[in-house]
Amino acid sequence: MKDDMILLHEIERYLTGEMSQAESIAFDELRRTNPLIDQQVAEHRLLLDQLESYGQRKSLQLKMNRIHEKLNIPVLTEQAEAENQKAKRLKIRRRTITNLAAAACIALVTSLSTIAVMQHDAKRKSTAQYEDVRRVLNNIQRSQNALINDINNKKRAPLNPGTYGGTGFAVSGNGYIVTNYHVVAGADSVYVQNNKGEAYKAVNIFEDISSDLAVLKIADSTFKSQPLPYSLKSQGLKLGEEVFTMGYPRDEIVYGKGYISAKTGFNGDTTAYQVSIPVNPGNSGAPLLDSRGDIVGIVTGKQTTSDGIAFAVKSAHLKRLLEEMPKDKQIKKDQLHKNHLDGLNRVDQIKKLEDFVYMIKVYN
Amino acid sequence: MKQHQDITKDRELLLGLAEGDDKSLEIIYSENFPVVLRMILNHNGSEDDAKDIFQEAIIILYEKVQKDDFSLSSRLKTFLYSVCRHLWLKKVQRTYNMYSLSNELEEIIPVADELETHQAKDQEFQIMESALQNMGQPCQTILEDYYLHKRSMQEIAEKFGYTNAENAKNQKYKCLMRLKKLFFDRYKTL
Repeated sequence: MKDDMILLHEIERYLTGEMSQAESIAFDELRRTNPLIDQQVAEHRLLLDQLESYGQRKSLQLKMNRIHEKLNIPVLTEQAEAENQKAKRLKIRRRTITNLAAAACIALVTSLSTIAVMQHDAKRKSTAQYEDVRRVLNNIQRSQNALINDINNKKRAPLNPGTYGGTGFAVSGNGYIVTNYHVVAGADSVYVQNNKGEAYKAVNIFEDISSDLAVLKIADSTFKSQPLPYSLKSQGLKLGEEVFTMGYPRDEIVYGKGYISAKTGFNGDTTAYQVSIPVNPGNSGAPLLDSRGDIVGIVTGKQTTSDGIAFAVKSAHLKRLLEEMPKDKQIKKDQLHKNHLDGLNRVDQIKKLEDFVYMIKVYN
Repeated sequence: MKQHQDITKDRELLLGLAEGDDKSLEIIYSENFPVVLRMILNHNGSEDDAKDIFQEAIIILYEKVQKDDFSLSSRLKTFLYSVCRHLWLKKVQRTYNMYSLSNELEEIIPVADELETHQAKDQEFQIMESALQNMGQPCQTILEDYYLHKRSMQEIAEKFGYTNAENAKNQKYKCLMRLKKLFFDRYKTL
């Protein structure tokens, strides 16, 4: 035991560097030769190190506690809490503002896109609902007819059947014809053909895009003028009044009967009627007549979403248009005032009328 | 410029801490404690929690500066704040299981490595502490006086009423052997 104590003392001296150089060298030698002692040295060094760091930490904690006591904790706590409150309020406010901004952005985008979609829809609807009733001519049908015409009459249209077809009617005895603008729009040349198959070359002399009307003049020396059997009615028709039309949805003239179903046209257009009458492509520009045989309108188009609804420009508008025409192109005034159809039955009316209703053939 | 000044100041303070300069410790303590206090209070802790957490962070810092290869890659304030945050997160997670601290404006650096090193050291400290406490008086005081407070054998003999330094030395030897046993019994199971 005594020896052990001396050994430990020696180890401590060795570790703390209190030994002289000679002693130290001797001790090193001892460690090398005696592993037991070497192990004891290592253990003791570890113990002392641990003890040392324990002591350091203890004293550090002591010092810190002393410093901590010097601090004014209640005041610091109060400050910290006040700052936390402020930060929290700021956070809430910031969150509120962010949320509001996000909501506003969403609302704006939603309403803008709704408007855009609705406008787009509305535009598409109106183009979809309204349809011009000019006809894209059928090749075979036309060529058959051309053969028949060839047999019947020498006067015939060029063999080419044309690109589009519509209907027109005479507004003067000397070859002025009214039709729709959309029938003759973009035309290179226009031919008119009556029910007997006689075709004449015509020129477009006046057009009014807004009401979709065009005035043609037959420019053919073989055309013979004849007095008109009907007049142009300038008063408006009453709702429900019976009307009829004659047009060329096929290569044959076709009769259709109906009534005025509204005093305004498509989308509330006051220059037109809504007419409940069967119309088909090719009827564009056909005359609309009342039971007395007066011209009351010009068929221009129909509603695609429902059957039997057609639109016709009012005759009063046509009359105004004719009066507005340039002086050098004016037609003779008195020609549209005499009615020879009144009192006749419908079959006779039609018989007299069909010579003045033309098929319009457009080449482009 | 300000950043540069801060770093220079931080370096001086850390040097002071490593050398055991009380003034440096006091400056570090009083300058950084309020921020940590605020953070702990904000996350349902008390002032005492703040004190414990902050002091542990200082100990970690102290252990770090004791090493020769020590260099601080961030500002002192950021380091202490991050360590405290990490420690507090660990503590509340232990108590309430699922819990996460909301993000804050203060800058945070990863400190997991430091905490791991600290944990090993902390265990050693616990062993030494319990070993010393289990020895009982007067052994604990004799050893502490001799090894920690660097008192001479003569002083200790007078303090404890031993007739001479030799007797005190005998006593110290016995105590040391007991400490050795107590310490290594647990240290070796580590």
